Amino acid sequence: MASSIVELKVNGDTVEVAAPDHFTLLEVLRYRLGLTGSKQGCDKGDCGACTVLVDGEPVLACLTLARLAVGHEVTTIEGLMPAHLRAGGTGADPVQEAFDRCGALQCGFCQPGMMLSARALLDREPNPSRAAIKGALSGNLCRCTGYTQIIEAVETAIAASTERAPDGGSR
Amino acid sequence: MQGFDLATPTTVDEAVALLAREGSLAIAGGTDLLPNIKHELFEPRTVVALGGIEELRGIELESDGTLSIGATTTLAHVAAHDEVRCRATALAQAASLVAGPQLRTMGTLGGNVLLDTRCQWYNQSYFWRQSLGFCLKKDGSVCHVIESGSKCVAAASNDTAAPLLTLDAELEFASNTGRRRLPIAELYKSDGVANLRKEPGELLVRVRIPALETGRERLGAYGKLRERGSIDFPLLGVAVRLDVVDDRIVHAALGAIALQARPLALQKAAAALIDAPASGPGFDDAVLACAAAAARQLHPVANVPGDAQWRKEMAPVYVRETVRAARAGTGPVHGR
Amino acid sequence: MGARDQHGVDAPWVDPARSSTNGADGFAVVGRRNRKIDGLSKATGAAVYADDIALPGMLHAKFVRSTKAHARIVSIDTSAALALPGVHAVITGKDLPINYGVIPWTPDEHALALEKVRFIGDEVAAVAAIDEETANRAIKLVKVEYEDLPAFLDPEEALANPTPQIHATPKKPERGNVSKHVLLEFGDVDGAFEGAAAVVAGEYSFHGTTHAAIEPHCAVAQCSPDGNLTLWSSTQITHYVHRALAHVLELPPARIRVIQPCIGGAFGGKSDPFGFEFCAAKLAQITGRPVKMLLTREEVFYLHRGRHPMQLAYRTAADADGKLRGVDAKILIDGGAYSSFGLVTTYYSGQLLGGPVHLPTYRFDSTRVFTNKPPCGPKRGHGSVQPRFAFEIQLDELAHELDLDPIELRRRNFQGEHVETVNGQRITSNGFLACLDEVERASGWKERRGKLPHGRGLGVAGSMYISGTNYPIYPNDMPQAGIQLKVDRSGLVTAFTGGNDIGQGSSSVVRDLVAEELGMDPADVRVVASDTDLCPVDLGAYSSRVTFMVGNATIDAARALRRRIVDAIAAEWEIDARRIFMGGGTVFDLEDRDRLVTTREAFQIAEARLDTLGSTGSYNTPTLGGDYRGGTIGASPAYSFTAHAVEVSVDEETGRLTVENCWIAHDCGRALNPMLVAGQMEGSAYMGLAEALFEVHDVNRFGLHSGPSLLDYRMATTVDTPELHALIVESLDPEGPYGAKEAGEGPLHPALPALSNAVFDAVGVRLRHLPFTPGNVLRELRAARATSQRERASC
Ligand SMILES: Cc1cc2nc3c(=O)[nH]c(=O)nc-3n(C[C@H](O)[C@H](O)[C@H](O)COP(=O)(O)OP(=O)(O)OC[C@H]3O[C@@H](n4cnc5c(N)ncnc54)[C@H](O)[C@@H]3O)c2cc1C
Ligand code: SF4
Ligand code: FES
Ligand code: FES
Repeated sequence: MASSIVELKVNGDTVEVAAPDHFTLLEVLRYRLGLTGSKQGCDKGDCGACTVLVDGEPVLACLTLARLAVGHEVTTIEGLMPAHLRAGGTGADPVQEAFDRCGALQCGFCQPGMMLSARALLDREPNPSRAAIKGALSGNLCRCTGYTQIIEAVETAIAASTERAPDGGSR
Repeated sequence: MQGFDLATPTTVDEAVALLAREGSLAIAGGTDLLPNIKHELFEPRTVVALGGIEELRGIELESDGTLSIGATTTLAHVAAHDEVRCRATALAQAASLVAGPQLRTMGTLGGNVLLDTRCQWYNQSYFWRQSLGFCLKKDGSVCHVIESGSKCVAAASNDTAAPLLTLDAELEFASNTGRRRLPIAELYKSDGVANLRKEPGELLVRVRIPALETGRERLGAYGKLRERGSIDFPLLGVAVRLDVVDDRIVHAALGAIALQARPLALQKAAAALIDAPASGPGFDDAVLACAAAAARQLHPVANVPGDAQWRKEMAPVYVRETVRAARAGTGPVHGR
Repeated sequence: MGARDQHGVDAPWVDPARSSTNGADGFAVVGRRNRKIDGLSKATGAAVYADDIALPGMLHAKFVRSTKAHARIVSIDTSAALALPGVHAVITGKDLPINYGVIPWTPDEHALALEKVRFIGDEVAAVAAIDEETANRAIKLVKVEYEDLPAFLDPEEALANPTPQIHATPKKPERGNVSKHVLLEFGDVDGAFEGAAAVVAGEYSFHGTTHAAIEPHCAVAQCSPDGNLTLWSSTQITHYVHRALAHVLELPPARIRVIQPCIGGAFGGKSDPFGFEFCAAKLAQITGRPVKMLLTREEVFYLHRGRHPMQLAYRTAADADGKLRGVDAKILIDGGAYSSFGLVTTYYSGQLLGGPVHLPTYRFDSTRVFTNKPPCGPKRGHGSVQPRFAFEIQLDELAHELDLDPIELRRRNFQGEHVETVNGQRITSNGFLACLDEVERASGWKERRGKLPHGRGLGVAGSMYISGTNYPIYPNDMPQAGIQLKVDRSGLVTAFTGGNDIGQGSSSVVRDLVAEELGMDPADVRVVASDTDLCPVDLGAYSSRVTFMVGNATIDAARALRRRIVDAIAAEWEIDARRIFMGGGTVFDLEDRDRLVTTREAFQIAEARLDTLGSTGSYNTPTLGGDYRGGTIGASPAYSFTAHAVEVSVDEETGRLTVENCWIAHDCGRALNPMLVAGQMEGSAYMGLAEALFEVHDVNRFGLHSGPSLLDYRMATTVDTPELHALIVESLDPEGPYGAKEAGEGPLHPALPALSNAVFDAVGVRLRHLPFTPGNVLRELRAARATSQRERASC
C-alpha cells in the first residue's frame, strides 16, 4: 500500500508526516504528531469524540483520510489556546475557559470534540439560541454530564464574548 | 482499516479513468465508504477522492430554472441553501436531518444518493459477521431478515433519495465511455446487494432538479422517523411534493425510504391527493385517504435496527403529518 | 483514624473576627464552585489518558475472540499468526492459567479462555505485533477449533436446565446454572400481608443496559529489565488490578506498579480486573517490549459488566392510611457468562430497599443465573436500580389505590433520621423529606399533578444509596482509604491518594479539603492519585465511597499536619497553640493579628523546629450491618437520599415519551463543591432516563450482540435530554467529611420509576416493563385500552 509524505497545516503550523494512504486524520494527529487531545471513542463516526475543525468546520477525524486534509487548515483542541493568545487574549480560549468554569469537564473525554463543535458554532453565529446550541452539539455524545453544564458553559462563553464586544459582535 | 491507495484527480476525465480500473471506489465525504471499509464490507485497492474536482461542486440555478447541485456538495450546504430550500424544500429538510452536524458537514449529496443499502446483519464488523456466518449480501449465502428468502432486502437508508424521487431529479453520470443522464426513478432497483443501476466505474457528476411549470406553487416536506433526535439513520423517511394551482393539488408525489432496497414512489398514495382541494375538509379527507393508501403499500421488515412493527404503524402517521406539513409550509416532521 | 473519630460538620477555622477569607458558613474553600484540579488540562487537550501513552518500541496487542456462544475449545493453532512478519508473540489460556475474580469467592474468570468459551466475544488468544494492523491481520490467522455446546440466552431456560453447566461445579452439580441465590426475610412478611387493607402486586422487568463510557478500555504495560512491571490502565480500581496482576502473573505485588492515568468515564465498567490488563502485562514480559492493548468500541460491548437484566415480582402491603406493612420480592437476575461482582449484585438487589420509606417487614428471594452472554456487573447504582424501579412504581400504585398523593404516601412512611432499617442497616442523616419538599415545590406538583392536560403528567420517586460500604471485597482489617501529605518549603502541599479520580472530581475534593484544613490557597495543593508505587492504598472508585472515605482520610491527615505546624509556630512565638489561626494563606496570632507569617514561612519554621514535614491519614468504616450472612453487604457509614419529579408528554399515537423536565433533589450531606455535585446529579438523571427511553444491551437469537456500536446502542444526545434541574439538599451527616455523603449514583435510581409514574399521571397507563421505547409504549397503551374496553363491555 502506498505511503507518502503528507504536508498538513495543523494549528497554524505546516508539518510533514509519513503515513500510509489509508490513515485517518485522527491516526495521524494522535499517533504520528502526538496531538492526543483529539479522542477516539468509536472510530466509526458514531460519537463525535474525534471532532476537529477543518477550515473552521467541525468534522470527524476518524472518517477523514489524512491526505484529504492537505491544503486545509486543521484545528485541534491543542490549537485553541495558542490561537487565543496569538490574537492577544489571555489564558485559554473563552470556550475552554467556560467549560472549566462551569464544571462541564467531568471525565473530559468527549470534551475536546464538544468544545470544538462549540467553537465552530460561536464563530459562525456569535449569539445562538439554546436550541441552536443543542443542535450544534447533537453529534457529540457525552456520557458524564447530562449536557446541562455543557450548555451552560456555551452560554457562559457567549455572555463572556458579548460582554467584551459591547455591540454583541464576535469575540 | 485495511490498506488502499488514494488517488486525488482534479478533473472528471482523470477520475473516470481511475474509476474504470478494477477495485477502485470513489470517496466523497467518506462517511459511508470508510465505515464500510473498516467493517471489511468494501475492500478497494484504490480509493479515488472526488474533493478536488471543480465540476462536481456547487449549487447553480440554470437559466431554465433547473437547480443543478454538484455531487460533492455537502449536505450542510444543501440544507442551508436558499434556492434549495425554496425550490426543493423536502430535499433541504431531508439533508438537514441526515446523521448529525459533523457528518452533514462532511457527507455529500452524491454520496447520499449512492449510499449502500443497510441492514442490522450487514453493517457490522468482520468478526461479528463471521460469528454470524455472514449473509448473502456479503460473504455468505443466507438472509437473516427473510430467512426463506433468496433476495437481499437491506434498506435504502439515504434520506435525500425520497425527496429527489418526488422532484423527478435527473442524475448526470460520467464514465470513461462518456456521459449519460438518468431519471432518479430509474437508478434504484430492489436488490439489496446492489441497488443501483450504475456501472462501478461511473461517476455521479451533478443532480438536477427540473424547474416547475409556471403558475404552479410547489410545496414540499420531509418526515423522518428515528428514535433519537440526531445521529441515527432513518427508520422510515417520507417525502412529499404538492404542486398547487388555485388551491387545488394538480400534482402530488410521495417517496419513502428505509423500507426495502429501493426507495419507493408511493403512487397510489399520491393519487389520493391529486385533484383534491389544497385546503378545507376536502384536503383533510384526501390526506387521510393518502395515508391509508400509503399504509397498504408500506411493509417494513426487520432489516434496519429498529422496531419493525412500530415502523409499520408509524408509516401512515408520518405520511399524514408530512403531507400536512407540506401544505402548511412547515416541516420537517421529526421527533413525533 | 479510629473508626469512630469524627471530624464534625463545621468549618475547621472559624475566625471569631470573621476574617474576610471565610464564607458565611465559615468555610473558605469548601462549598464553593471551585474549578477542578484538572479542568484546564482536560480543556486544552493536555490531559493524558491511557491511549495517549506511547512508549519507545511499543507493541500493539489484539484479542482473538470466540465466535461461539458456548463451546469447548478443541485446539488452537497459532503457528500461522506467529509466522506473520511483525508478530512478536501469541498467547493463549495456557499461558495465563490462573483463575481469578474480583470477588474472591467466585474466581471463575481466566485472562484467556482455558477450556471453554462462554459467549460470543469471549477472549481466546492475544497477539502482540509491531502495529495494530499487523495484530489485526494476525488474529485472523489463529485457528480455533470448537465443539459446540448448547447455549442459554434466556435466564429462565438456564435456570430450568441444570446441564450443560456454563460453569462446572463438580462438587455441587445441583447448582446447575445458578450463579448465586439469596433469600432473606426480615420480620413476619406473611403475617403482615394478612389483614392488610391494600395489597399491590405486579411484575416488572428491567432490560440490559451498559456503561458506554466514551473512552474505550486501554492498558499499556512495560517491564523493566529487572523484572518490575508497570501497567497504566483505564481502571477505576487500581488496587484490585494490582492484587489480581500479582495473583495471575505470580509476581510479588511489590514488583508491580499500577497507574491510572486520566480516565474517560467508567460508571462501574472499569471496576473488574480484565483480560486486556493481564494480557498486556504478560505480553510485555514475554516480548521485553512495552505493549498497548486498546479495545475497539465493539470489544467494550463484549467486555460489558453492565446492568443486569432482572425480572421482578413485587408485592407490597399497606394499611388503609398508607402505612406500609411489608414487601415481598422475587427476582430473577440474568448474569451473563461470568460472576464478576454478581455475588454482591444478588445481595444488592434486595439489600438497598430499607429506606427512605420504612419497611416493617421485608423478604427478597433473588437468583442470579449464568447465561451465554457478555457478563453483567456493576453499573452506576449497582444492583439496586432495578428493584428500586419496581418498588417505586408499587408505591405509586398503592397511592392510587388508596387515593393518596404519592408524595404524601412517601412522607407518611418516611423512616426518619438515626434509625435502623428492618435489615439492620444504620441510617444516620436523612434529608429525604427535604428532597420531597424540593421537588414538590420546584415542579409545581400541587398545582399541576393530575391537572395537566391529558397526555402530560408528573411523577415522583425516591431512593437511597450507599456512601461506600464496609464490605471491603477481600476481608482485611486495614483502612479502606489512606492519604499521605508531603510539605515542601516552597509552600506546596502534595497529597498522595490511592483514590481514583474518574471524572467525578475526587482529586479536586482532596485538594479542597487540604486547603480548607490548612487555610491555604487550593492552587498550592497538588494531588498525586492512583499510582500504587506512590500512593497509599485506597479501595477505588466504586460504591460511591471516594468522597466519603478519601475525604475523611484527607481531613485526618491534614489535621495531623496542622497540629504539628500550629504547635511549631506556637512554640516559636511562645504563645498558646489555641491562639494560632491558619487562614488565607497565612498563619497568625488571633490576639495580635500583626503577628503573621505566610503559610510558606510557617512550613519552614515548622520544618526547622521539627523535622521533614508530612503526615498520614486514613479511614475505616465502623462495624456496621446486620448479624446475618450478607448483613454487611450494603451496610454503609452513611446513605444518600434522592427524590425526582419527572414531567412527561406522551404521544399516544406514536408511543413516544418526551421528558420535558426532571427535577432532582438529592441529599448529599454537604455539597463540598456544589458544581461537582450538580454535575453528578444531572449526569445520573440523564443516564437513568436514557436507559429507560433509548438504550438496549442485548443479544440476538444467535447470541450475537445486537448492536455493539454507539450507533445502535442509542445514548441520548443533547436534543434527547430534558432540562435537568439539580436541587441540592444538605443534611450534614455526622460522619461524612464536613457532613458530606455520596452524589454520584443515588440520583440515577428514581429517574426510571418517576418516569413511569409520570406516564400514569399523563394517560392512566402503568408501564412496568423497560425499555420505554416508543414501539413498546404504543403496544402497552393499546393493550391497556383493550383491557379497559373489555372491562367496560363486561359491566
Ligand atoms: C453515524 C452515522 C449516521 C448516519 N446517518 C445517516 C442518516 O441519517 N441518513 C443518511 O442518509 N445517511 C446517514 N449516514 C451516511 C452518510 O453519512 C450519508 O449518507 C452521506 O451523505 C454520505 O455521503 P458521503 O459523501 O460521505 O459518501 P461516501 O462515503 O464518500 O460515499 C458513499 C458511496 O457513494 C460512492 N460515491 C460517492 N460520491 C460519488 C460520486 N460522485 N460518484 C460515484 N460514486 C460516488 C462511494 O464510492 C461510496 O460507495 C450516516 C453515517 C454515519 C457514520
Ligand atoms: S437483508 Fe440483511 S441479512 Fe438479508 S441478505 Fe440483505 S443484508 Fe443480509
Ligand atoms: S471516534 Fe470519530 S466519531 Fe467516534
Ligand atoms: S465529560 Fe465524560 S464523556 Fe463527556
